[in-house]
Amino acid sequence: MLFELNDEQRAFQKKVREVYEREVSPLVEEYERREAFPVQLFPILGAEHLLCLRCPVKYGGPGLDKISECITVEELNRICVGIGASIMVQGGLATDPLLHFGSEELKRNYLSPAIRGEKVGAFALTEPDAGSDASGIRTTAVREGEGFRINGSKTFITNGTICDFATVAAYTDPTKRGSGINLFVVERNDSGFSVTKKLRKLGNHSSDTAELAFEDCYVPKERMLGDRLGGGLGQLEETLKSGRITYGARSTGVGQAAFEATLSFVKGNRRHGQPLGKSQAIRFILAEMAMMLETMRHMTYRGAWLFDQGLASMKDASVVKLFASESVQAVVQKAMAIQKSAGLRMDNPVQRFLRDGRLSKIPEGTSEIQHLVIAGSLGL
Amino acid sequence: MDFELSHEQKDVQRAATEFARGEFDPDLVLELDENETFPDSLWKKAAQLGFIGIHYPEEFGGQGLGLFESLLVIEAFCRVDSGVGSALSTVDLGSEVLLKFGSLEQKERFLTPLARGERRLGVAFAESEDGRDLTVLSAMAEKRMDEYSLQGEKRFVLNAPLVNTFLTLCKEPKEGWITLIVEPQRDGIEIHPIKKMGLKMIPFGDLSFKGTCVPLASRIGEEGQGLIHVHHHHHVMALRSAAQGLGTAQGAFDRALQHAKQREQFGRKLSQFQVIRHKLADMAVRIEGARWLTYKSATEFDRGRVQPGSLWMAQLEASRGLISVVDQALQIFGGYGYTAEQAIEHYFRDAWAIGADLGTEEEQKDAIADILLGPDSTRK
Repeated sequence: MLFELNDEQRAFQKKVREVYEREVSPLVEEYERREAFPVQLFPILGAEHLLCLRCPVKYGGPGLDKISECITVEELNRICVGIGASIMVQGGLATDPLLHFGSEELKRNYLSPAIRGEKVGAFALTEPDAGSDASGIRTTAVREGEGFRINGSKTFITNGTICDFATVAAYTDPTKRGSGINLFVVERNDSGFSVTKKLRKLGNHSSDTAELAFEDCYVPKERMLGDRLGGGLGQLEETLKSGRITYGARSTGVGQAAFEATLSFVKGNRRHGQPLGKSQAIRFILAEMAMMLETMRHMTYRGAWLFDQGLASMKDASVVKLFASESVQAVVQKAMAIQKSAGLRMDNPVQRFLRDGRLSKIPEGTSEIQHLVIAGSLGL
Repeated sequence: MDFELSHEQKDVQRAATEFARGEFDPDLVLELDENETFPDSLWKKAAQLGFIGIHYPEEFGGQGLGLFESLLVIEAFCRVDSGVGSALSTVDLGSEVLLKFGSLEQKERFLTPLARGERRLGVAFAESEDGRDLTVLSAMAEKRMDEYSLQGEKRFVLNAPLVNTFLTLCKEPKEGWITLIVEPQRDGIEIHPIKKMGLKMIPFGDLSFKGTCVPLASRIGEEGQGLIHVHHHHHVMALRSAAQGLGTAQGAFDRALQHAKQREQFGRKLSQFQVIRHKLADMAVRIEGARWLTYKSATEFDRGRVQPGSLWMAQLEASRGLISVVDQALQIFGGYGYTAEQAIEHYFRDAWAIGADLGTEEEQKDAIADILLGPDSTRK
C-alpha cells in the first residue's frame, strides 16, 4: 500500500497549481462579482491540456487517470469553486457520456473541440419537478423522420447560457419509467432550443447556471448516444460514479482554501489581548479542520485509485461524495465562525468558501440520495 | 411558572405578524436584498403603527411595554422575512442605553423621534470586527471649554450611512470611558461602507473621527461610566439578536415545512419520507429550546434581574440553532434553496450576519464558563 502521490503526480500537481494561479486567480474576484464565467478560460486551459483530463490522446485529450483528474479538481477548487464547476462539467457530465457512447462522428464534432476548449458543453438532466428522482423527468424525444423532436424544460444547468452543445436526457418511451430514456446532443443553434433564465445563486457565482427550454427542437438521429432506444440513465452510471469521486476533490479543494485562510487569520490576530493561536478552543478547532481535510483527501484519492483500477462501485463513489461534502460543511462553517463579523466582508474570501462549499450537499445526488445508495448496497 | 404569553403579549405578536404578512411582499423583499436597499417605507409604516420603540415609556412615544414585547415584534418580523425584520429591528440600536442612563432632556430629544420613525439611532462602540473585545479600544475624546473633540476609528457600525444619531465610546484623559451622542452630519466624520454577505438591506460602515466636535451635553450619564453602558447594550443585544435568530429560524422552518408538504419526488411528498420528517423534528426542537431560553432571559431582564449567564446562553443557543435550522431548511429545498429565487437563500446568508458582532462561540462560552466557575477562576 502506498498512500502518497508519486514523483510524477507531484510534479503534475505543482504544474497545474502554477497554471491555475497564473490564469485563474486573477479572474476570480471580477467574475464572482459579475456572476459570470470567464469564457476566455476554455481555450487557455485547453491549450494547457487541462480540460477533459481522462479523454484519450487519440481524440486530442490528455489521456490521464482519475487520480490526476482529482489533482486538477482539488487545485482548481482551492482557487475558485464556481469556475471549477464549469470546468468540471466540461470534462465530466457533458462529455463523459460522449466518450463512452458517442459515435466517432459525435466525438469528432463535439468531444475533440471540447477538449481543445473550442466548444463549451453542458449536461441537462434535472427538471423543475425531477431532481433527486431522475426517472421522473418529463422531457420527451419523439421519433420523427430521420430524427427526434425534443420537448421539455431543464433547470440548474451549469454552462447553460454559454454552452455550444448540451447532452440532454429525454424519454424516447415515456411508458417505460426509468428505462425509456436516451441521451442526445443538442446544439445551441438548433431551432427550438433556448435559454429561458439565468439563475442567481447563493454561491458558485462565477459559474453559469440556467434554465433551458426545448420546444419542438429537432435533432437528427445521429445525435443520439448509442444506437438502441432506451437505457440512457444506465449510460450515465460510470459518469455519475466518476462525478461523485470528483466531488470529493472539489470539497477537499475548497476545504483546503478555508483552512489556509483560517490558519493565517488565527496566526495574525489577537482577541482580548491574547494571540488567537494560544486559545485552546481555537487550537482544537484547527486540529479538527486539519483532521477533516486529511480524511477527505485520503478518501477521495482512494476512491480515484479504485476507479482507475476498475474496482470502484457506486457505493464507493457515494461514500466519497457523502463524506467529503458533509465534512467540508464543518470546515467552512468553522472557518466562518472563527472570523465572525470579519468573515462577512465581501472582500474576505472566507464568506465565499462558506457559500460555495454549501453547494456540495446538493448536486449529482444530494446527501440524502448518497445515503440511499450506500444503504441500498448493504443487503438490508 | 407560567409558560403562556399574556393576552397583551399575544395581541402584540398577532399584530406584528399580521403587519409583516400584509406588508413584506416576497418579490419586493428579494429586490431590496439584491439592490442592498433599506426598507424605508416599511420602517415608516411600522413606526406609525407603534412597532418601533414599543418598550419606551409613553411619554417618549412608546407604549410602555417591556423589552420582551419588543422581542416578540422582532421575532414576528424576522419570521416573515429575515432581511426586512432585521432591518426594522436595527433602527433604534442603543436606545436602551438612553432609556436607562440618559437625562430627561436626552430621552425627549432622541427617543421620541425614534418611535415616530423620524430618526434612526446607531451604535459605534466596537473598534475591531469583534464587538465583544474591549481590550482594543483606543478612541479618544478631549474635553475643551464647551465641547469634546473626538479622534479614532470605529468598526462595523450598522446603518452607518443612514443614522441621524449614534452613540459612541471614547476615553477622555480625565473623565475616563464616556459615552457620547454624536450626530454624523458634523464635520470630521468619515464613513467607509462595507460590502457584506448577509443582511444586505442594512448598510454597514467603518467610521473615522478626525477632530469631530460634540457639545458637552452630549455625554450620557456620569464620567467613567462608558463601559457600563456598553455592557448594558451587549445584554440588550444578546436578547435582540436571539429574537432575530429565533424568528429567522422559525421563518426558515415554516418555508421548509411548506415545501416538504408540496414537493413530490419518487411519487411521494417529501413530508412522507422519514428522514425529512426527522429533519423537521430536529429543527423544531432547536427552535423551541432557543425560544424558551430567550423568553426566560427576557422576562428576567424586564423584572430588573439581569442574568448575564442566561443572556449568553440564550444568544448562543439561538445563534447556533439558527445556523443549523437554516442549513437543514436549505437542504430540504435542494437545488431550489441554493437559488436566489427562494427566500431561504438570503435566510442562509442573513443567519451568519445576525449577532455576528456579539462575538464568537468561543467568547460566548468563555463568558458562560466565567459565570459557572466564578469570576476568579482562570482559564489561562
